[in-house]
Amino acid sequence: MMFSSRLFKLEFSRSFKSLLTWSLSIGFTMAFVIVLYPMVIDIYSAIPAEYQSFLDAFGGVPHNVVEYYATEGVMMLQLFGGIFAALEGYSALNRDDKEKTVECIYQLPYSRSVILTTKLLKVIINVMLFSIIVYLMSLLSFIIIGESFDGVKFLIFNLYNTIMFVVLAILGFALVVFMKPTQKSMGAIAFPFVFYIISVISSVTNNDTLQLLKHITPFTFANPVDILKLGADFEWISFVVFVGLSIVLTILAYWRFQKREFTV
Amino acid sequence: MDLSAIEISSLRKYYGKTRGLENATLEVKEGEIYGFVGPNGSGKTTLTRILLGLIHSNSGEAKIFDQDVKKASVELNKEIGYLPSEAFFFPEMKVKDVLRFFQEMRKVDDSRVLELVDRFDIDVNKSIDQLSFGNKKKIGIVVALLHSPRLLILDEPTTGLDPLMQQTFLDLLVEEKKKGVTVFLSSHILSEVEKICDRVALIRDGVIYQVFEMSEIAQLENKKVSLFPALEGNLPKGMTFIKVEDDLTHYSYVGDINLLLKRLSQQRFDKCTIRDASLEEIFIQYYQKEGVSHDVL
Repeated sequence: MMFSSRLFKLEFSRSFKSLLTWSLSIGFTMAFVIVLYPMVIDIYSAIPAEYQSFLDAFGGVPHNVVEYYATEGVMMLQLFGGIFAALEGYSALNRDDKEKTVECIYQLPYSRSVILTTKLLKVIINVMLFSIIVYLMSLLSFIIIGESFDGVKFLIFNLYNTIMFVVLAILGFALVVFMKPTQKSMGAIAFPFVFYIISVISSVTNNDTLQLLKHITPFTFANPVDILKLGADFEWISFVVFVGLSIVLTILAYWRFQKREFTV
Repeated sequence: MDLSAIEISSLRKYYGKTRGLENATLEVKEGEIYGFVGPNGSGKTTLTRILLGLIHSNSGEAKIFDQDVKKASVELNKEIGYLPSEAFFFPEMKVKDVLRFFQEMRKVDDSRVLELVDRFDIDVNKSIDQLSFGNKKKIGIVVALLHSPRLLILDEPTTGLDPLMQQTFLDLLVEEKKKGVTVFLSSHILSEVEKICDRVALIRDGVIYQVFEMSEIAQLENKKVSLFPALEGNLPKGMTFIKVEDDLTHYSYVGDINLLLKRLSQQRFDKCTIRDASLEEIFIQYYQKEGVSHDVL
């Protein structure tokens, strides 16, 4: 048996409230942004031309509801969703140290690999559920305002976005294994933010060197403006780098976790 | 032939430069209650955690039921019930949900859990974060015992329990011993060790100094004598002055009690107490005799 269904049930039920809080908060925020579209669409045509060039750096003026969603809404989803994913990954192991439940979990007749796999699976499922809830709430909001939109494009973006969240969750998960057990969770909040800033810098600059930074952030392969507005080619480099990094870190985390000393 | 439940030899564990255990060797026979005694920070918890596979030794060997604790920790944990010195559980959960979780993880039926819950008078509808230290300890006892393990590893088991629960718990250990369960009990409270252990090992600063058979200690017939006023003239053979405290003069006495009574009857006393020496007092005396610092305990 590679994982414990009973431990999974415990872990899932313990994190369910947090999952609901994050998903509904961000889901409602996204829904709110989307239902505002019919009321704010006229504002864009009133923006003076000199400001429009400034807006171009952040995705430009939207011409339909999905483009509006990409330029105005997704920033919050990606930033806060990224923090949720990283925290989810980070706290899956860190919580046992923090609550000093390490001894009661690891004295059970299950190998460390089984426990790690169970926790990792719970993290990935929670992140996917978060994405699905936010996706469905956004979809419902599109339907409510009665605007036509490209559902396939919207779905594809959300798939890449979910993969990006899973990557951040795995980075958070692996980070804990290599850090001291007593480490605070601030690190988990910081790194999605750093990746996001790198993504913004690489997209607003005209400097060729700075533009290369886009390859070292997972936000690049789930860039909403590229996917939903510009229809740009998929950013394979960023995708391969971060999916590959996640796989390598997961393997290293399993190796390192076998040697971990539970002294809390 | 007695089988070994726990066998450790030349076990060494350092946390960086800090010594956890040094060259520790001991053997616990199957079916005995073995006390592991030492002050806080002496290495008791380190050894316990090595046995459970929670931490790894730097060198030496540790075996439980003839299996290496590093290689067979999953299989061994099926046979072990562990009570940590401080029992922590999932704080937002109710006691019944926590017990249900461990029951399902250990694949045991309700009857054993209900029996233990009833015996330790546990309110299963309370949430863990509402429980006092002692009540959490009671949950820890149930979790350690619910799968009827062959070996119980108990770290400071009675700390936080009220005297009634302490007695209930010690009685339970004696019952478990009768069923053939081995108990490895680490403690700094000598009175509980004195009550139930067959053998006791003394540890300080990561070093195991001595292993005693409790029956040998009982044969020492060591008495504590407190008198007011103090005994006049030469002390009888076997009697040693200890100290004067609150007007009382304290002595230790090893020898025939009748000879002592005869000697005491030659003088008039306002206060006179003769009692068996506690294990702690015997150990302190032992260490003074052996030239080891008396604050070992």
